[in-house]
Amino acid sequence: MTEEYISLAHGNGGRLTRELIDKVFVQYGQHPLLDTVNDAATMSLPNQTICMTTDSFTVQPLEFPGGNVGSLAVHGTVNDLSVSGATPLYLSTSFIIEEGVSMACLIRVVKAMAEAAHKANVSIVTGDTKVVPKGQGGGIYINTAGIGLKKTHTQFDIKRLSAGDHIVISGPIGDHGVAVLLARDEFGLDSQLISDSASVYPFVEAIDTIDGVKFLRDPTRGGIAMAMHEMAQATNLSIRLNEAAIPLSGQVESVCNMLGFDPYYLACEGRVVAVVAPEVSEEVVRRWQACTHGQNAAIIGEVLPCQEQYHCPVSLVTHIGGERLLDELEDDPLPRIC
Amino acid sequence: MRRQSVETLIAGLDAMHPERPFRVMNVCGGHERTITQAGLRSLLDKHIELIPGPGCPVCICPEEDIAQAIHLALNEQVILLSFGDMLRVPVFSHTDGPRSLLAARGQGADVRPVASPLDAVAIARANVTQQVVFFAAGFETTMAPVAAMVAEGVPDNLTVLLSGRLTWPAVAMLLSNDEQAFDALIAPGHVATIMGSDEWAFVAEQHGLPTAIAGFHGESMLAALQCLLQQRSDNRAQLVNCYPEVVKPQGNTQAQQLLREVMAVSAANWRGIGVVEGSGFTLRPEFANANARVRFSELTDQSSFTPLAPPAEARCADVVLGRLYPDQCPLFGNECTPRHPIGPCMVSDEGACRIWMSSGMRSVDESKSTPEGV
Repeated sequence: MTEEYISLAHGNGGRLTRELIDKVFVQYGQHPLLDTVNDAATMSLPNQTICMTTDSFTVQPLEFPGGNVGSLAVHGTVNDLSVSGATPLYLSTSFIIEEGVSMACLIRVVKAMAEAAHKANVSIVTGDTKVVPKGQGGGIYINTAGIGLKKTHTQFDIKRLSAGDHIVISGPIGDHGVAVLLARDEFGLDSQLISDSASVYPFVEAIDTIDGVKFLRDPTRGGIAMAMHEMAQATNLSIRLNEAAIPLSGQVESVCNMLGFDPYYLACEGRVVAVVAPEVSEEVVRRWQACTHGQNAAIIGEVLPCQEQYHCPVSLVTHIGGERLLDELEDDPLPRIC
Repeated sequence: MRRQSVETLIAGLDAMHPERPFRVMNVCGGHERTITQAGLRSLLDKHIELIPGPGCPVCICPEEDIAQAIHLALNEQVILLSFGDMLRVPVFSHTDGPRSLLAARGQGADVRPVASPLDAVAIARANVTQQVVFFAAGFETTMAPVAAMVAEGVPDNLTVLLSGRLTWPAVAMLLSNDEQAFDALIAPGHVATIMGSDEWAFVAEQHGLPTAIAGFHGESMLAALQCLLQQRSDNRAQLVNCYPEVVKPQGNTQAQQLLREVMAVSAANWRGIGVVEGSGFTLRPEFANANARVRFSELTDQSSFTPLAPPAEARCADVVLGRLYPDQCPLFGNECTPRHPIGPCMVSDEGACRIWMSSGMRSVDESKSTPEGV
């Protein structure tokens, strides 16, 4: 049997396009609501406030331990809806595929997408495919947009943040960033580490009835350091994290030491950070620790009044009790020389 | 447990109350990174000054060597391999050509980052119709595996553009020029792993400065500092190995043997410092087949290369020599940033400027004197 590859004709709107949709997206997409005939999906929504978001996914390599670009594209959009206080319902998806991608790889990506959507209880209702010439795309790019129902009982609002609030995280940081980095195979390092890519909705649902939960954020690109910066800058408050409390796997720590990376800037794709009133932080940790993959949930820092003596609003108390600033990410980290 | 030991160490340091400045230089970018990332300076008495020294191999790599690498990379037959840090280091020269390896890549040169000599061998084997040149810059720690690679025999199409340096001669030169450059030394832990702690005994014996070999955790640095301060308060100077679990007095003799077999030692130029006697590694004549400067003698002829002076305000040399803290350079964090580096110290993860930038250190602390006490 010869291996099949994507050709430009798969994107020309003709017979091969039709076959691609039927044999890959319908067969492995596996969802009854996925409408591949009409130009738009039709669905009904209750008379309620909705949230909508969109995100594009360009990860390299396309497949990594713990997921691939397909599962990532579902989790990313589901998570953006979840931390906004919405129940994710429907996704659209749009593929830009580079000529020459193997059909087997595309099928693995679509399957992972369907499985992630099923687990996250969302429906992929419409999609599109384009093929670009070889050399003009990174294999597969996926855009997903999502609609969710805003929950009436949540009041997540960054304006509610105040000095004294606690920062809580649902699990160890940097697993996704390091898993993808090592999957690039540029460093000759082997590891058992798998990406944390997952829906964070169960974590949100576990705490969204607690009144003192003020704001949620999924620390993706830029890691927890940049998530803290966004919050600090929007509120003119400062945030101090406690290094000793931040959950970090031994493997991520070793890779960071070896390559000179700061784990606080590495992406997570299945973790959530909550800013909560101090009196409920223990309860949030308790509930998160009862969730799957939540056993390492911890209080990792606190919100402070604006620290004017520093040029940067995010600081870290180190293992030895020193303090340093976690500034905004300047550029991509480079591998270290020795 | 860990916490307790840190508190004890800090209490011990506090108890010694230095009443005059105690300037401790480190010679390893890894140590500067540990100090900065652990926020060590924020814990110490203001009289204890931790000065980053010439411990970054990328920062001190002379411009003519980088110019050679760029020149080779622009040859269509050549795949140029380099450690990642080196790709963005700018050279200042009269040439109209690209001023960094990354810029050369932007003009179509095949420049690839590698993490180890093993990668170089694998790439050479996978590209037998191309000439693969491995631009190997580094200190003893990096040179030992390069020597092992060359001793084992490299593929016919692989050569090495060597820019290796020994660290101790640069420190010896700093001290011979200015005995007052610093009061104590934290010697490089990684280098000592290969070359042995004994190599650093001269700092205490000949110059009377307390010296400690340290590991790469905040606690280990604190322990080394306490040892140095104790020596001063006892008015004695000796070499103490505070990293004995890894560093042995004689070092890794097998690696040293390989280095001696493959490489000779000669005078060499250090960017920002100048020529330092007995500080450069060169490939011995019997390994000429693996020497890029022999195989590509015309392409690597840089006799006419004259580096331009860097911008007048750039204080790179003073930072490398430990005369200024990074944030005392007027370009630091302004014109010179990790994204737009002007000097090499802002490029490498071992460079003091980049380490300070990435750990959020920006403005000059007015209460702090310059390392040279000006």
